[in-house]
Amino acid sequence: MFDKISRREALYGLGASLGSVALSSLLSSEAKAASESPLAPKAPGRPGRAKNVIMLFMEGGPGQMDTFDPKPELTRLHKSESKLSAGQEKGFKFFVGSPFGFRKVGDTGIDMCNQWKYLADPFIANEFCNFRGCQAESLNHPEALFHMNTGSRLGGDPAVGAWATYGLGTENQNLPGYVVMTELALPQGGPTNWSNGFLPPHYQGTRLRPEGSPILDLVPPQYKSMAHQRRALNELSRMNANYQNSLGIEDQKLGARMDSYELAFRMQTEVPDVIDLSQETAATIDMYGLNDTETSTFGRQCLMARRLVESGVRFVQIFSGGWDSHDYLERGHSSRIKSVDKPMAALIRDLKLRGLLEDTLVIWTGEFGRTPDNNKRGGVYSLGRGHNNQAMTMMLAGGGVKPGIVGATDELGSSAVECVHPIRDLHVTLLHLLGLDDNKLTYFHAGRFKQLSQFGGEIIPEMLA
Amino acid sequence: MLQRSIKLASCLVLMAGLFSTTVVAEEHTAAEREFTLKVLPLLKQKCQGCHGGDASDIKGEFSVLDREHLLSGGESGEAAVIPGQPEEGTLLPALRWESWEMPPKENDRLTDEEIAVIERWIKAGAPWPDEATRQKISEAEWNVESNEDGRMVRTSGGTSEEWTNRRYEPNDLWAFEPVRKREELLPGDHKLAEAIDIFIEHSLKEADLEPAAAASPRALLRRATFDLHGLPPTPEEVDAFETAWKADPEQAWSDLIGRLLASPRYGERWGRHWLDVTRYADTGGMSNDYERSNMWRYRDYVIRSFNEDKPYNEFVVEQLAGDELADQSVRERTGGSMKEIHQTQLNGDYTREEAEMIVATGFLRLGPWDNAMIEADEARQIYLDDVVNITGQTFLAQTLRCCKCHDHKFDPIPTRDYYRMYSAFSTTHMAERPVPLLPEENTEEFEDGRAHVQRMLDFAKSERNKLIDKQEAAARVWFEERGLPYKDENARKDLPDEEKPPRHVGLDHVEQGQLKVREQDVWIWTRRLERYEPMAQSVYNAEAATLAWNGARKLRIDRKTQPKEKLVNYILTGGALTATGDEVLPGVLSVLGLPVNVSAPDPYLTTSSPDGRRLDLARWIANEDNALTTRSIVNRIWQFHFGTGLAANSNNFGAKGARPSHPELLDYLADDFVDHGWTFKRLHRQIMLSDAYRRGTVPVDAEKVAEADPNNRLLSYFPRRRLSAEELRDGILAITGELQHCDGGLPVKPEINMEVALQPRMIQFSLAPAYQPSPTPELRNRRTVYAYHVRGQSDPFMELFNQPNPNESCELRETAAVTPQVFTLLNSDMINDRAIALALRLQREEESITDQIDRAFRLVFGRHATAQEKSWMTSYVTDMQKYHEGISPKPVEYPTEITRSLVEEFSGEPFEYTEILPVFERYEADPKAADVSPETRALADFCLLLLNTNEFMYVE
Repeated sequence: MFDKISRREALYGLGASLGSVALSSLLSSEAKAASESPLAPKAPGRPGRAKNVIMLFMEGGPGQMDTFDPKPELTRLHKSESKLSAGQEKGFKFFVGSPFGFRKVGDTGIDMCNQWKYLADPFIANEFCNFRGCQAESLNHPEALFHMNTGSRLGGDPAVGAWATYGLGTENQNLPGYVVMTELALPQGGPTNWSNGFLPPHYQGTRLRPEGSPILDLVPPQYKSMAHQRRALNELSRMNANYQNSLGIEDQKLGARMDSYELAFRMQTEVPDVIDLSQETAATIDMYGLNDTETSTFGRQCLMARRLVESGVRFVQIFSGGWDSHDYLERGHSSRIKSVDKPMAALIRDLKLRGLLEDTLVIWTGEFGRTPDNNKRGGVYSLGRGHNNQAMTMMLAGGGVKPGIVGATDELGSSAVECVHPIRDLHVTLLHLLGLDDNKLTYFHAGRFKQLSQFGGEIIPEMLA
Repeated sequence: MLQRSIKLASCLVLMAGLFSTTVVAEEHTAAEREFTLKVLPLLKQKCQGCHGGDASDIKGEFSVLDREHLLSGGESGEAAVIPGQPEEGTLLPALRWESWEMPPKENDRLTDEEIAVIERWIKAGAPWPDEATRQKISEAEWNVESNEDGRMVRTSGGTSEEWTNRRYEPNDLWAFEPVRKREELLPGDHKLAEAIDIFIEHSLKEADLEPAAAASPRALLRRATFDLHGLPPTPEEVDAFETAWKADPEQAWSDLIGRLLASPRYGERWGRHWLDVTRYADTGGMSNDYERSNMWRYRDYVIRSFNEDKPYNEFVVEQLAGDELADQSVRERTGGSMKEIHQTQLNGDYTREEAEMIVATGFLRLGPWDNAMIEADEARQIYLDDVVNITGQTFLAQTLRCCKCHDHKFDPIPTRDYYRMYSAFSTTHMAERPVPLLPEENTEEFEDGRAHVQRMLDFAKSERNKLIDKQEAAARVWFEERGLPYKDENARKDLPDEEKPPRHVGLDHVEQGQLKVREQDVWIWTRRLERYEPMAQSVYNAEAATLAWNGARKLRIDRKTQPKEKLVNYILTGGALTATGDEVLPGVLSVLGLPVNVSAPDPYLTTSSPDGRRLDLARWIANEDNALTTRSIVNRIWQFHFGTGLAANSNNFGAKGARPSHPELLDYLADDFVDHGWTFKRLHRQIMLSDAYRRGTVPVDAEKVAEADPNNRLLSYFPRRRLSAEELRDGILAITGELQHCDGGLPVKPEINMEVALQPRMIQFSLAPAYQPSPTPELRNRRTVYAYHVRGQSDPFMELFNQPNPNESCELRETAAVTPQVFTLLNSDMINDRAIALALRLQREEESITDQIDRAFRLVFGRHATAQEKSWMTSYVTDMQKYHEGISPKPVEYPTEITRSLVEEFSGEPFEYTEILPVFERYEADPKAADVSPETRALADFCLLLLNTNEFMYVE
C-alpha cells in the first residue's frame, strides 16, 4: 500500500495516525505483510554478535571502588576531610576507604574485591569486560534508572529491551519477547523501567513475578481446569466466527483478537514449563545457589534467565536491589555481593558450557556509581557513600564483547577519566552488538524519528571483540 | 490530499528550474544564489556537526567548511564533489544513502528535493561565493515575502538571521493561518450537520468512493450511548428507541442525542477525554509518588464543566488563570489591596465562584514532579518546562519541547517564544491552598475515610515510638555507664562521636529498617489527612519562593521569601540553566500575528508584573481569533466521535503532524463553534446528526477503499472501535447491575488484582503502603473516572486495556490486542466476580436457562439471542453444570495484615515488618465462586464468554 509514495511522504503526510503500525520496519527493504505478528523474528540490518541479552540490574548503584575498581589512595585518606563536589551531599564530608581488599584475577588481570569468590574463577573471570568509563547524568534513583533503562531521564520512552524486540522480534512466539524479573518489591519508577513507551504495546516487558502467578492471571482460577478453559475458548471462537460472518467482511483487528486467545492458551502451558526448575539437575540447582537462602532469589532468576534465553526469549532483565549503601557499606555491599556472586558465576559458566555465551550478551550494571566520600549521618561518621553520576562500573560478558578493562576512573574513583562515555553510547554499543544501528532503529512519533539514544551516540570500539 | 501535495511539490521544482534561467542576468548567478540560500544552510545543518564544526574532531577527515575540502574529499582520498559532474564524486551517493548513508540519522536524512538542490549546484560548477556576496544575496532574498521557495513568517525572531528569515512550505503553515469564515468556505445557509456532509461527500466523490449505508437503529443506539456516556444502552432503552425509530427515525435520533447530552453520565465520559490530555492522577509520581490529596476537585470541576456545557473559552481561562480571576474578584468585593488578596490566599475566605476558579487551576499541577535529589533551580525548570509544554499541547496543539533548546526546526516558533511563555509562568508556584468546599462537592466519605487514615497513622506512630523508646533506653544506659547526663537524639546530634552513643544504639539492623519504614509511614499518613481538609491543588504568584529539599511533600504559599534580585528570564541555550542568552519578557507565540495588547510596542508581550501574566496568556489563548485554539478543540471533539481527528495528531498541528484530511471542514467547524458561543453540546449534536456519523461500519467496496483510502480518513464508512479501558469496566458493571452512580468526591478504590494491590513498591527510603480497596461495593463499583489514580501503581486491568500513563499527554488511546489482555479477561478475579454477578442477576430476573441466555444477550449485546445461539449456549451451560457439580471452589480470604520484606536500602540486608490492612476487617466482598451454586457457576461461565466476545468488545 505504500509503494506508490515515498516513505517520507507517507510519514509526514499521514503522521502518527498510523501509530499502531511499526512503520519504520514495515517500510524497510523487505516490506512485510501488515498481518504478520509484530514479534516475528526479524534479521537485523547486519549480522550481530549477540542474539540475546541478559541484563543484571543492580538497583541502588554499586560502588565501583568496592567491587571492581580498587582505589588504594582512598584507603590512605580514610576518614580525612573531602572537598570533592561530586554528588548531592552537602556540608562536611570525609573520604571512605573500601572495606574490602582486592586482587587481580584471570588471564586479563581484571580487578575484583575479595568478596567475589565465584566470579574470580578464571573460567568465569576471563569472559568479563570491566567498563569504567560510563557516566550517568542523574543523581537520583528513578531518573537514573529511567536513563539507563530507556535512554531518557524523564521516563516514558521505550526500554532498551523494547527497542531490541522491536528491532529483532523474538524467536519463540509462545513466550514474551522481553521478560523482566524483580525482587518482591518493584524498583523505583516501577514498570516505567520496562515500558514500551511510544512503541506498540507488543514490545512492553512482561514481568515474571517471583511469587504467585508468574504472569498476572496466567492460569484460570483453581476451580477451573485447563480442559474447562479449552472448552470455553472453543465456544468463544464459535461465537466470534459467527459474529465475523454476520458482518460479511474481514476485519484484521477482530482476527488479531481471536488469534490472541489461542496464543494465550499456548502461553499458559509454555510459561509454566519454562519456569519449572524441577527439570534441572541437582548439580545445576546447587551451582546457581538455590539451596542457600542468601543466593536463592537471584540464583533462581539467573537460572530462569538461562532457560528463557534457551527457549528463544530475546531480552531478559533481572532487577536486584539493596546496593544503595549510604551507610554500613561493609555489611551492605558484602551481603549484596554474596547474593549475586555465585548465581552470576553459575550463569556465565552454564551459558559458556552450553555454547550460549557467544550469542548472549550479559551485562551487570547499576544506575550510577558511588562517591569516594560521605557526609555524617545523625552526627556520626557513617561509613557509606553517596550517589555519583561521574563514575561507575559495569561488567559485560559474551555476545561479542572484548574481555579486559576498558576505561579508567581517577585515583579516588570520583570521576571517569579514560574512555569516558555517556549512557547513550553504551546503548548504541549494545544495539550494535545485536546487529542494530541506533540511527536506523527508529520509530516515528510526535513529529520525529525517535531512537534509543535520543539524538544519536557513538559506539565504544574498545569494548568490541 | 497526499497526491495533491506531490503534484504541488513537482510543480515547485519545475518553477525553480524556470527561475534559475531567468536571473542569470543579475550580478550573481542563479547557482550562487541557490548555494547561499539552500546548499550552504544544508551543509551547515546536516553535515557540519561531524564534518568541520568541531575542528578537533572531524569525522573521516572530511570537512564541509569550504569548497577546497569538498573537492579534495576525506580520508578515502576520493573527491566528494567534482564541479559540473554530479554523477561523479562521493557526496551525492552518500546523501542518497547508496554508499555511506549520510547524515546517518534517520531524523536528519535529506529529502529527495534537498538532494536535487545539491545536484543542481554541482552541475552548475559548485560555485562558492564569498561572504560579502552571500550576505548581499541573503539580504535581497529577505525582502521578498513569498517566492517559489515558500513563504517567510514574521515572528519575534530566532537566534540567527537565517532562522528568522527562513521560508516555509505554505502547506505546512495551515494551522497558523487565520480560520476562514463559513461564508467563504461554503456559501449559503446550512445547518452545521448538513455542511459536514457536504464537505465529507465532496471528498468521497473526488476519490470516487461510495458512502456506506446507514447503520441499523440498534447499532446507532449502542454507538451513541457508548460515545456520549461510555456505557451500553439497557435492553429497555433498546426497546424504547426501536419503537420511537419506527414512528419517526429523525425525531428518535434527535431525541436520543438530547437525552444522552442531558445526563450527568455525559460529563463523566467526556471529562475523561480531557483528563487524558491533561494527564490526571491523584499522586505526583517520581521517587516518592506523594499523594495530591485534593486533586479530585479538579477532576470533578472538569466533569461539571462538561455537564454544564461551560463555554470552552471560559474553561481555558479558568484552568490557566482561575486563581488570578479569584484574586481580582477578591479585590473587587473587598475594595482591597494586595495585602487583602494575600491574606485571603492564606485564610481561604473565598466565595463559591472564587473557590471553583482556584480548583480549576489544578490543571497547572498535573505533571509528575518531585524535587528529591534535584537542585532547586533545576527542579523549578522541570516544573516550568512541564507547564509550558502541557499548555502548548493541550490548548494550542503545539509540542513546544523542541524550542526549549533551539528555534523550532520545522515550525515558525522561535526559542524566544518558548521562553516568553516560560516567563509568563515564571511567577507561578505550586501550592496546596485553603479553598472552601463547594456545595456540589461530595464529602460523604470524609468521616469514614478520616477514621481509616487516622487508624493507619496511629499504628505507624505507635510502632515508631516503640522502636524509639528501645533506642533511647539503650542510649540512657550508654550515658549512665559513662557517668554522663542523658541527652535525647536531637540534643546529642552535634556532639563528637566519642561523647554520644552510636547511631541507632540498641537497635539491630532489622529494627533500624523498621524504624525508617515507620517514620516514612507517619509522614505518609499524616499527609493523607489532608484529603479531608478544604484544600485545593493549585498555584499562586510570587517573584520568589523557597523550595525545601523534600518540597513535594508539602507545598504551601510562601510569602516569607523575598526576591534577592529582580526576576529576569533568559533564553537558555540548549535548555541549560547556565547558558543564558537574550533576556526575555513574558509573552505568547508570535507566529499567529495575534496580539495580546494591540497598542503595546511589542504586541506579543503580556504584563510584566508578577500577577496577571497567566491571565493575559490565557485570554490570548481563548481569543476567538486564536486559530490554534479553535481548530485544536473542534478537532479533538471530532476525533473522539470518529476515532481520528480531521488533523490526525491532535496534540501537534506543526509541519510534522498530520495535515488535515478536510481542511475546509476543520475551519468551518472552528468558525461555527466560536460563533455559537464555544459550546460543546451543540457541536456534538450537529456532528451526530450528520450522515457521516450515522453510517454503517461495512464499506461498500472494501477492496477499493483499502486501495484508495486505507486509513478511512475520508469516512466512507464509520470506523469500528474497541472499547476503552473505562468503557470496558464501567460497561461490564452496568451490565451486571453493580454500577453505582455518584456525584464525584474522594477517589474510590476498586478491587484491583490482589497480587498487585499488595505488591511492595519502592519509594524513597521505604515501601509505599499497600493498596486497600474501598470496603463496600457501593464505593468500589463506581465509574472508573472516580477511581484512585496512582502514578506508580496502575490498575493492571486498566493498564492492559491502554489506560494511558499519566506522565505524558495522551492525544489518542492505543487499542492493539496483546495477549495479557486475554489472561485478565478470562482469569482475573475482577472478571470472574463480574461473571458471577451477572449470573446472579440473570437468575434473579429469569427462570429458565433459555430466558436467562436471552436476557444476557440483551444486556451484553442489546439484542436477542438467535435460535442457534440459544441452542449452543444451552448445551454449554448444561455441560458446565455437570462440570461444576463435582467441584467446590476455595473460599476467598482477605488478609487483615501483611508481612512485608524489604532489603534495607542503606545496609543491603533484608528485614520484615507488618502492615495492617484494616479495610478487610469490615470488607463487604463481592459474591465469589465458593459462595454460589454450581448452577450459578455454570451460568457465570456463559456470562464470561459473552464478556470476551468481539461483539461486546467492539462498537459498530
